[in-house]
Amino acid sequence: MTESRPKENHTIFLLTVGLLAWLIPGAGHLMIKENKRAFIISVTIILTFCAGLYVGSIGIINPSGAKPWYVAQIMNSPIVAALGYLAKTGDYTVFGKPNEIGQIYTSIAGLLNLLCIVNAVYLAHLCKIETAGEPKCS
Amino acid sequence: MFLTDAFVMATFTVPEKITTDPQSMLWLLPLVAAISIVYKATKLPEIKFVNFLKETVILFGSIVVFMFVTALVLYSIAWLVIE
Repeated sequence: MTESRPKENHTIFLLTVGLLAWLIPGAGHLMIKENKRAFIISVTIILTFCAGLYVGSIGIINPSGAKPWYVAQIMNSPIVAALGYLAKTGDYTVFGKPNEIGQIYTSIAGLLNLLCIVNAVYLAHLCKIETAGEPKCS
Repeated sequence: MFLTDAFVMATFTVPEKITTDPQSMLWLLPLVAAISIVYKATKLPEIKFVNFLKETVILFGSIVVFMFVTALVLYSIAWLVIE
């Protein structure tokens, strides 16, 4: 990233990093060449999310009946919306402890990904300030 | 290949059986591990395996100990109220 990069380009760059980080957990960090962080984040968040789905089935993603949980879950990736659409058919009902644990796991994974999105955007912004003239981050 | 895929997909369409006994509290541990790992991955200025592992284990331990103490305090209060 060079210092001559126009402000608009920098904003678009930050938005791209944020969007990528949301699309695939860890991809935002990968874009700014933080490969180790990207790998750790990606593996941990995807595993946590899958563990939640495994415990509670895709029925735990309930856009209409459990909206607050769904808001946290969709922070994982837009794929959650597709899973929510599938689960809306009502064929995957889940109650009790599996529902509870599954929702907690998937929602915490989503909130952790939100933390990573913010962190990736912040690091991308710092790149501009710290690496003036050196094409390190983009 | 199709059978393997179908089996993997099926595991995500049927919930697991989890009872409401004290052992179910152990489901907390993988979640705390995930939180510790991701938090430290975002906070450490540089990721070096030994340092990262040390920081993660410290955070994991701190959270577990804090939750154990909180549970103990809540249990004591409940016991005092009931007795």
